Amino acid sequence: MSWACPAPVQSWLFPLPVRVCAAGARPPVLGRVPEGRGRCRPCLGQGSEAKAGRTDLIFLIRFRHCCLLRNQRCILAYLYDRLLRIRALRWEYGSVLPNTIQFHMSAEEVEWFSRYKKSLATYMRSVGGEEGLDLTQDIKPPKSLYIEVRCLRDYGEFEIDDGTTVLLKKNSQHFLPRWKCEQLIRQGVLEHILS
Amino acid sequence: MFISDCRREFYDVIVSQRVLLLVASDVDALCACKILQALFQCDHVQYTLVPASGWQELETAFLEHKDQFKYFVLINCGANVDLLEILQPEEDTFFFVCDSHRPINVVNVYNDTQIKLLVKQDDDLGVPAYDDIFRDDEDEEEDSENESEGSEPSEKRRRFEEDIIERTMKRRQRREWEARRREILFDYEQYEYHGTSSAMVMFDLAWIMSKDLNDMLWWAIVGLTDQWIQDKITQMKYVTDIGILQRHVSRHNHRNEDEENSLSIDCMRIAFEYDLRLALYQHWSLYESLCNTSYTSASLKLWSVQGQKRLHEFLADMGLPLKQVKQKFNSMDMSLKENLREMIEESANKFGMKDLRVQTFSIHFGFKNKFSASDIVYATASLMENIEKEGPETTNFIKALDSLSRGNLDKLHQGLALAKKQLRAIQQTVASCICTNLVISQGPFLYCSLMEGTPDVKLFSKPVSLCLLSKYLLKSFVCSTKNKRCKLLPLIMAAPMDVEQGTVIMVGIPPETESSDKKNFFGRAFEKAADSTNSRTLHNHFDMSIIELKTEDRSKFLDALISLLS
Repeated sequence: MSWACPAPVQSWLFPLPVRVCAAGARPPVLGRVPEGRGRCRPCLGQGSEAKAGRTDLIFLIRFRHCCLLRNQRCILAYLYDRLLRIRALRWEYGSVLPNTIQFHMSAEEVEWFSRYKKSLATYMRSVGGEEGLDLTQDIKPPKSLYIEVRCLRDYGEFEIDDGTTVLLKKNSQHFLPRWKCEQLIRQGVLEHILS
Repeated sequence: MFISDCRREFYDVIVSQRVLLLVASDVDALCACKILQALFQCDHVQYTLVPASGWQELETAFLEHKDQFKYFVLINCGANVDLLEILQPEEDTFFFVCDSHRPINVVNVYNDTQIKLLVKQDDDLGVPAYDDIFRDDEDEEEDSENESEGSEPSEKRRRFEEDIIERTMKRRQRREWEARRREILFDYEQYEYHGTSSAMVMFDLAWIMSKDLNDMLWWAIVGLTDQWIQDKITQMKYVTDIGILQRHVSRHNHRNEDEENSLSIDCMRIAFEYDLRLALYQHWSLYESLCNTSYTSASLKLWSVQGQKRLHEFLADMGLPLKQVKQKFNSMDMSLKENLREMIEESANKFGMKDLRVQTFSIHFGFKNKFSASDIVYATASLMENIEKEGPETTNFIKALDSLSRGNLDKLHQGLALAKKQLRAIQQTVASCICTNLVISQGPFLYCSLMEGTPDVKLFSKPVSLCLLSKYLLKSFVCSTKNKRCKLLPLIMAAPMDVEQGTVIMVGIPPETESSDKKNFFGRAFEKAADSTNSRTLHNHFDMSIIELKTEDRSKFLDALISLLS
């Protein structure tokens, strides 16, 4: 499963004061857009007019208010989905995201990501005894120490634990330690062959 | 250097190392590779597998990987040339060569350190003795020694004369030795042939280590059958090797007979069969199979109208209705299929086909899956030379390698479909060549050239398909011609390879006789002819008798060959 690069954040959303807080494993709690503080300037005027007693505009205001609420819901859903994808990126790519992805993230998202990383790292350290336990490896239960992989595209040189390098060329097959290959399998460079 | 103990000198050495496997592009090499891969996976030997379809790819792969690997295993490539000269490796690189190509280059045989040959010693190798071909070069220096200083001029002159006599004698001896050496080497390297299948050698290794499985045995069987189908080994050797494998088969597959301990139907079983020689007949209709197998097609002369009539007579003789015979084999009536083999053999004897049955093995797993060894060979070979998909050649290699695993039945079925197309194309081309008299006698050999517009000519730009076509063509030609001398001639076949670059692929095969020893002299002949005419040739293939050359040089090349061989 690989998520596509998140698209750049729609910039017209920025004026909306949506508050996001760092979550860890909990879904982020999003702030509510306070009533009346929308972009709809005419609304303000009508709101005050309605208070002044012109009751025939009430329906218009109510309608616009519902639209605003709906837009707010959609925007929040969009931002939340982005956050879920960014969270999945930590498990897939590791703690350093490639530049192409970071380019598309907004500043708040980058900050959220770093806080999520820290939170995950603290948790992993606390779980596994002295050294901690790296939960991002072996996502599927491993069946053997070494696996056979096939290279799907030209990747270049790849270094293994004992210092030796392997040249990954398209259609070459290799028998390598499982933990080294997992990253590349997730990225789609290598394919695990089951015989 | 030959390895006597495969386990200690080969396997135990590489089991703790990282190894690069360079595998040639033929079915026997693929099978050997699968067996070795299974052994490596058992013992966690880290390896990298790189396919090599010719000398250039081998060199490129070696150059790319030589910094990372010290141990190289070459399967079905590298024995018949001087490896050290071609690859120029470092001192601490080791090569293990498991190759069925013969003759083995003498440098590879007598190199003690870097090159180890995994070859069965009971292959008749006939390697010349060391002293006959290698000689220390110290003797040369004595000739250029300065004369020792003598006191008296007469003594000096006498010693001078003696020196001259000594020197001329030595020179003459040396020249004689060199002439004899050239003769010995010429005799040794003149004929190309094939030894034991690499897949069987690898299976032997697995058996010595008690790590052999039924799967590996099946791959060894497929490797041997590939050698037989491509006509690389003699009938005697095939029968002997089948005997060896049969012992292993009965060892692994005897549990069926006991009713109480019978295996589940999904387990894989191998069975020995004295089966019909018809290609793919269980996955096709019997009629199609009879038309597209070279043995029956050549004996019945199916390219002529007379031949078609004889085929119908043959079927009528067996009592098989045409309607039944033309539908899929699986849907034929059970009553007809019951004694099919014996019936066909009887009728075939009447029509002059005495060898219609052959000893082979078949594999069974699940209710639907039954394949004969030759089916797998045809399927895998056609997957490897598939021209339909674009992409690097290695993709085809990988697909063919995958199709040998039992889990990839879809690829196997795809291979079977391609094989049917290939066999049909071969038979149609053979029929048209014979009917239009395209096979001409050039004196010492027969020659046939495929024109560019011929249907399916792209299929024959690949070496193995072209070899298969030439063998079938020669068989059919021998049956069709009345000229007694032509029946004993070898055949050279040419087909366009790459229209844009203007190259042609040429294949030479030995004559078709009953007791042929399958020795091919075209490798050396092609080399010499290319040298003498300065034709632009490319000897890229591991089999020396397959070359590529430019279309313009073709006629002068052929003329040189004619004068060389007559």
